[in-house]
Amino acid sequence: MLELTLSDYIIKAKKIESNFGKSIKLAILSSFTVNGLKEVLTVKCGEIKVSAEIYVAGYNQYRQELLDDNSNLYKFKPEIVYLLLDTRSILSELFFLPYQVNHQSRKKYISQQLKEIFSLVDGFTKKSDSKLVVTNLSLPTYSPLGIADEKVEFSLNDAVTYFNDGIKSRYLADDQVFVYDFNSFANRFGENNIFDPKMYYLGDIKISPDYLPYLVENFVSYVKVALSLNRKCIVLDLDNTLWGGIVGEDGFDGIQLSPQPPGNVYYEFQKYLLALFQKGIILAINSKNNEADAMKVIRDHPYMILRPDNFAAFRINWQDKVKNMEEIAQELNIGLDSLVYFDDDPINREMIKKYLPEVKVIDLPRDPSLYVRSLQSLNDFDTFQVTMEDQKRGKMYIDERQRREFQSEFSNLDDFLKSLNIKVTIKPGDSFTTPRISQLTLKTNQFNLTTRRYTEEDIKKFIGSDDHLVYSVQVEDKFGDQGIVGVIIINCEKEWQIDTFLLSCRVIGRNIEKVMLDFIINVAKKKQAKRIIGQYVATEKNKPCVGLYQDNGFQKNEDGLFVFDLLNNFFGPDYIKLID
Amino acid sequence: MNLKNLLARILDVDPGVINDGSSPENLENWDSFNGLLIASELEKESGVKFSIEDVIHVKNVGDIKKILDRYNIKYDF
Repeated sequence: MLELTLSDYIIKAKKIESNFGKSIKLAILSSFTVNGLKEVLTVKCGEIKVSAEIYVAGYNQYRQELLDDNSNLYKFKPEIVYLLLDTRSILSELFFLPYQVNHQSRKKYISQQLKEIFSLVDGFTKKSDSKLVVTNLSLPTYSPLGIADEKVEFSLNDAVTYFNDGIKSRYLADDQVFVYDFNSFANRFGENNIFDPKMYYLGDIKISPDYLPYLVENFVSYVKVALSLNRKCIVLDLDNTLWGGIVGEDGFDGIQLSPQPPGNVYYEFQKYLLALFQKGIILAINSKNNEADAMKVIRDHPYMILRPDNFAAFRINWQDKVKNMEEIAQELNIGLDSLVYFDDDPINREMIKKYLPEVKVIDLPRDPSLYVRSLQSLNDFDTFQVTMEDQKRGKMYIDERQRREFQSEFSNLDDFLKSLNIKVTIKPGDSFTTPRISQLTLKTNQFNLTTRRYTEEDIKKFIGSDDHLVYSVQVEDKFGDQGIVGVIIINCEKEWQIDTFLLSCRVIGRNIEKVMLDFIINVAKKKQAKRIIGQYVATEKNKPCVGLYQDNGFQKNEDGLFVFDLLNNFFGPDYIKLID
Repeated sequence: MNLKNLLARILDVDPGVINDGSSPENLENWDSFNGLLIASELEKESGVKFSIEDVIHVKNVGDIKKILDRYNIKYDF
């Protein structure tokens, strides 16, 4: 990906539309000059239709801003704070004269520096709910000891590694603090490129203006995740995308796909796609081909890495690709704005761009050896944490495809549901399930009775309080585990009020909601409640659950709330096993 | 390369107001960072790397022209 110059960004930032649909407040703290960062961030947020309001702390003012309760940083109430640290500032004299002291002193010094950062960061998390992204340090590329540097105990390099490992392990499981791997960024572009000595001496600029946009591209990942703008599914063409050549013409044996050139570019490209599948990205195919020819390759070719079980949907036919794309989104029950499209043919790409602008279309380079790099430069598939649900997602969509194929064998829905052997597990929320519970409240639109959005912090507070009950709902059946797909939050401060009742669209239509109501009613009876109050807050998208309460024995009262009298009984479907 | 346009773009002014005497004193946006940005963009346009001395000694647009001439960099104005 080629970037604009910094001055182009500065000009664009001045002209940018100020009112996109979504907005976010970002703050930048740094130990060196980062002029221009704000403007690039503004423009790149604009590109994903996000209005960014950005606060930039004064040069090297990060300590004061973080420590002072009344600093402008805290007054600004940011949602994400970026703290940029650099090796020279943190190491100070040790950077220049690492070997004038012994290795114990080096370790002592860097431990102190680490401790200072910990106390700044921990102080911040006490004062603010904002996410904090803190960079690690780039490893020095020079040692006065030259080739003997690797023969010294706790060398300069070791000191920086120690710092990086320390900050990583401290915040490994933290849901507010995230370490950005700046060292890896520096590796990607090389110190001789990103560090311009003249700029450094004249202006304490430690990332040259040419490379700032690439850094910001990575920073925008955090914005995308915070606002749920990340994408879920990669839709792939086949000929000259997953393999070289055209299977319809070159034949099963004639396509390029093998560990040797020229087939190795496709062979390895598939491995990178498989790695994304394994972290939870859904894969699908949209290709103009004879289905039988293409499926034979996917099933039987010795060097095919991606197999039928890696794809959640297939559209291999001769109808137009725009229609195929819409059908894929529909079949997977995800928005077009969740799709990324890879196709070597520029005409197909233009068609999709024109008719389905929500789909992100990758302009694949003409040289297939660069496919991997273009995949690697995408920042659309990030998550803050690696949750079990995310890792299983790819597999779950394939289970779903098999479930659909299985359903078509039944004429009656009840028979189908009975044959699925559904098991529902409802458990009180805990620290392990909190990220997923929050994620569901943030993302679920269709089967969501009140659409209340809660951060992980909110969920944590509910779990810790006496007046709220939080439950996660996990579903599995004979085709596989669907993970946590539902959330119940009860506000029992005065009465038993269902604050949140939601189900992921993946499991709508299987009577899971009846099992959840059954569970709530039983718990409420045990706790001697007299009645349960439910609420339906209409939104543009939550029609699918409009009748939930009326259809299940709740009476609408004069305030528009739904009341279930606990003198009544309720029976959930007997073919679903409830485990609590 | 058109020097006036390049400067006007970075300094966010109309190219018409730029002359040999234009300097950080009379152009509000010409701060030290933008001074460095001018050097960086001229380097990219010309493929020439200036020395730290070159950059420090620039007091106005006339000085920039002198440096470009010294390195035989062709430009319009």
